[in-house]
Amino acid sequence: MSGLRIAGYAWLALVLVFLYAPIFVMAAMSFNASPFYQLPFEASFRWYEDLAANTAIRAAATRSVLIALAAMTIATVLGTAAALALFRYDFRGKRVLQVLLFPPIAIPWLITGTAMLIFFFAIGLGRGTPAVLIGHVALALPYVIVVVNARLASFDRTLEEAARALGAGPWTVTRRVTLPWIAPGVVAGALFAFAVSFDQFVVSYFLAKPGDATLPVLIYTAIRKGFTPEINAVSTLIIGASMALMLVVARFFSFGGHR
Amino acid sequence: MTKRLLLTSLLALTAGGAMADEIRVLNWQGYGTDLDWATEAFTEATGHSVVHEYFTSEQEMLTKLRTNPGAYDVVLINAAFTRQAKDEGLIGPIDTSGMKNFDTVSESFKEGELVIDGDVYGVPWTWGLTSFAINTNAFEDAPDTIQVFWDPAHEGRVSIRDDALEAVQFGALATGQDVNEITDLDVVEAKLAELMPQIRTFWSSENDWNQFMAAGELDVATYWSGSAARSADMGLPVQFVVPKEGAVAWLDGLSVPDSSTKKEAAVAFIDWMIDPEFYVKWDAEGAPASANAAAAEALPDDSFNKQVLGDPEVVMRIQFQDPVDDATREKYLALWQGLKARQ
Amino acid sequence: MAGTLNAGEGRRAAGLLAPAYLWLTLAVFMPLSAMLFFSFLTAPPFGNEPVAATLANYFAFFETGTYGRLLWKSVKLGLWVTGLCILIGYPCALVLAKQIRGRAREALFLLVILPFWSNSLVRIFSWAIVLRGNGVLERALDLVWPGDVRLGLMFTPAAVVIGLVHSYLPYVILTSYLALQAIDDDIIAAARSLGAGRLTILRRLVLPLSLSGLLAGAVLIFVPVVGSFMEPRILGGRFGTYYGTVVEDQFVAVFNWPLGAALSFILLAVVLLILALSSPILRKGLQ
Repeated sequence: MSGLRIAGYAWLALVLVFLYAPIFVMAAMSFNASPFYQLPFEASFRWYEDLAANTAIRAAATRSVLIALAAMTIATVLGTAAALALFRYDFRGKRVLQVLLFPPIAIPWLITGTAMLIFFFAIGLGRGTPAVLIGHVALALPYVIVVVNARLASFDRTLEEAARALGAGPWTVTRRVTLPWIAPGVVAGALFAFAVSFDQFVVSYFLAKPGDATLPVLIYTAIRKGFTPEINAVSTLIIGASMALMLVVARFFSFGGHR
Repeated sequence: MTKRLLLTSLLALTAGGAMADEIRVLNWQGYGTDLDWATEAFTEATGHSVVHEYFTSEQEMLTKLRTNPGAYDVVLINAAFTRQAKDEGLIGPIDTSGMKNFDTVSESFKEGELVIDGDVYGVPWTWGLTSFAINTNAFEDAPDTIQVFWDPAHEGRVSIRDDALEAVQFGALATGQDVNEITDLDVVEAKLAELMPQIRTFWSSENDWNQFMAAGELDVATYWSGSAARSADMGLPVQFVVPKEGAVAWLDGLSVPDSSTKKEAAVAFIDWMIDPEFYVKWDAEGAPASANAAAAEALPDDSFNKQVLGDPEVVMRIQFQDPVDDATREKYLALWQGLKARQ
Repeated sequence: MAGTLNAGEGRRAAGLLAPAYLWLTLAVFMPLSAMLFFSFLTAPPFGNEPVAATLANYFAFFETGTYGRLLWKSVKLGLWVTGLCILIGYPCALVLAKQIRGRAREALFLLVILPFWSNSLVRIFSWAIVLRGNGVLERALDLVWPGDVRLGLMFTPAAVVIGLVHSYLPYVILTSYLALQAIDDDIIAAARSLGAGRLTILRRLVLPLSLSGLLAGAVLIFVPVVGSFMEPRILGGRFGTYYGTVVEDQFVAVFNWPLGAALSFILLAVVLLILALSSPILRKGLQ
């Protein structure tokens, strides 16, 4: 094996250590008894016990999951529809519509979030879960459209034409021919939407109503305003759950690997 | 039969719903109102449950009130901010007639900032000092001067709170000025600029402070008297110091937001909080001084609040904090932001 | 070809597109317009202060050096983090895409991007635990190198950079990897058989062909980092004041929304300007 190859492996290994070490330490500290993260390490499950009794964190976690599921559903339906239209029809202004997908991704969330706060206040909606949901869907939509579009790019248009020639109406064509083909893209888009919403902190931070915080907002408030390793415990659970979910997904969809 | 059973249980449920409210309290984290044993006893006695929200600065507290009407039922407001909150329509007058503990609240506090045109906008709750505390492991003898923050021996081992008003007043004390009437702001700015390289980090909550001390990151840091007592009680090597330059005293009141829909439960909770019985128990864990004369008297003689704050020699060095108008506050904020931006 | 839909098609296209774009209008474009409007007001229109039109919020940016200094500090932070992510991530993507084969590659790739799916806040928080004084890192170093080692990394600009690089590194690895993977191995083999050295192949062939992915990753990192506020607050200590934290303060603490809006638009303008200035490179890379 050449020196360059070894250096390559070593680099990769270092990067992996860099990526995982802090997460590992954070998780380990959730099993340490000291409330101030003091060493030496003293094994304890007390923070998980506290967590089980902490209704605020449980409520926030449930709220986060529900919002993410709702945002995922709405964004996937709206986004798939838009992607289909962008793929199927050619019309004036299509480029503009495609470009308009970028602001939600490309503008710093700080700006999007504060702008939403201002606007929702101006129209009387204020802060709260509806505002958070509207924001999350908007942030997730472009991802769904882009991902479904990418899948559509490999779709053979003549299939739709053939179905139409055989007398199928537009809805039948969509349901029986197009949707089955793009299903993996739709699922991937939905996952993106879920992840964008579940992980979203900045926009939720400005839009969530006190007492109705999402999990990331609750964690941030705790970090700023006083916390115990309970936060480590809940973080460990989140990381474990989201990684497990991704591993399951990866078994069904090959990410970037060779097919 | 079943129908009637259903009806009665439904009635019982709705009746229970009207009796037992969930009140939302906005306060500093770890500051009395969120003690588990106290809220549990309150719930047991009244049926009302208590939920907390926290802030890390008075400004944040005010903005939370402004942007979340109806979200809070009890809010802790520093007396220097009560009038502003009232003028903005954020808090309403409190009906103290039903409170059993209001009568013993010290008269001097009732004449102060919390009572406006005869209406009580904040029930005087606690008072204390903003000064500093030392890590006893880092000092042979406790320092008697605020200049210890500028001592090169503690470079990178000091902390102050990230708050424009507190920072500027700290600078004023260190330059021998009246905290309520700072005549030479440039001197304060220069003094604080010198302080910056000494600072390890800013702290923003009591919990922050405890964790930094526990990690051995700090030798000396500004702190509040009640919090210092609490940290010491938790086993941290902490000692509170009132230096010869003096210290800033503050009064905290409990107010009821105008938009609260559970005012009755809110007032009941405030009454619970100024109860001497609660206060004595709280003080054993570390608390600021009570604004309720009956509560203060009920303390054991060896308590921190009776010993230190009862010492006339200490009281001489205290300057009570006056309200700060918007223009002055903006000036302080610009100064503080400018200093931080240059880091 | 453009604009040649018949009435029925037009209706169907509109029906499919309208919900998504109406949503974006309500949640993104109208808020941005509202913010622009706000940035010219003296006070938020739902407070109890009189409201008038003004340019003062924009002038405020130039009145003191504070905001300009902070903006420059944030842009520098963005450049640092983006640069480091590229230096660390691109070689990593290269190894993954061109050196490792088969199932091992898929597993390793997954391992690299997995943290990306965990909460970013939680990852920043883990660094706070690792870097703190007397914390895990210093203890570990103490084992290797006994004596009183104090790294003192926590609450420094370095801590902010480390935390942000950790957060955004997977982006650049992901986008570079996808671009690198699309390069046909046969082309590289052909270049090699023509006598090209490793460095030449990298510089003349691999890098240009994967530039689109690299740049896409860079933009995805730079934009959010310039506006970051949560990471500096948690890791930066007394150095943790950045443009983003000051904007956050205007909204969360000071309640000067018009000033916050104006500061946000200045940030947006600067970000767009930087993207526009680099657009010749971007366009070339993305072709």
